[in-house]
Amino acid sequence: MSEIILFAHPTCGVLGIMSALWVVVETLNASEANAWRLRLAAFACTVCIVLAWLIGGYWYVTFYAPEKAVILKGPWPWAHDLFMETKEHLFFIPLILALFLPIAAVQRLAGNQGARAVVLAVAGLIVFNGLVIEGAGAVISHGVKMALMPAGQKGTE
Amino acid sequence: MGTAQRTPFAMAPDSATGTSDTSVSASVCGFGTAAAITLVFNTVLAWAKDAWDPLNNFMAHLTGHHWITHGITDVAVFLVLGYVLTARRGGQRGNGIRLAIALVVCGLAAGAGLGFWFLIT
Repeated sequence: MSEIILFAHPTCGVLGIMSALWVVVETLNASEANAWRLRLAAFACTVCIVLAWLIGGYWYVTFYAPEKAVILKGPWPWAHDLFMETKEHLFFIPLILALFLPIAAVQRLAGNQGARAVVLAVAGLIVFNGLVIEGAGAVISHGVKMALMPAGQKGTE
Repeated sequence: MGTAQRTPFAMAPDSATGTSDTSVSASVCGFGTAAAITLVFNTVLAWAKDAWDPLNNFMAHLTGHHWITHGITDVAVFLVLGYVLTARRGGQRGNGIRLAIALVVCGLAAGAGLGFWFLIT
């Protein structure tokens, strides 16, 4: 069960990033015709990022403590000290932006460069932060692997 | 045939509403400003609880984990501040370009502030 939750978290995160990128593309081509699609993408982004928060948060407070102990005893303690500590707080940036995105996207974007700039800024920041967070997750995961791998096998494969 | 070349930031003013082509609604302005403030607040709260254990313990005591309290606080600050700032505008529209710049600056500064803090501590 722990593994299913663990994989569902980045999956929702990636879907949220892709939805935000979808918002960027629709905004760059904003017209009356694609307004509904843009709002759908913004709503999908919110749902995916909130799910990533709830699922990842449940895993973090329930299952992370033993993995943290393993990481701290291994050769990559900074995988927790720097990457996890930053990631767990950095995540709130795309979360807040994802909650705001549907509010910004409900405007009439065609013919309003101010409204488009706001949506592009918010969706762009979600994509950028999301990619940084996904990368940090990979480092944390490898921190566990490095700690559990027998010393002689590290770097030999 | 006949398709005009468009660029994202070079469109005509919104003829339907008759407003400036850079203006955004009061709710977008209110909640957008609230989002920018919340991003900075999130980083400051992370610094504070990491530097001062009593705050971290208090936050952990409230919900069982400091991170849960942190997330709920951020969302509450965003929603309450957004509602208050929107109401205070009284329907007055704001400048979208300035709001977008504020969001980007606050977003990048907040993220960099978190990374830098945990790098040096």
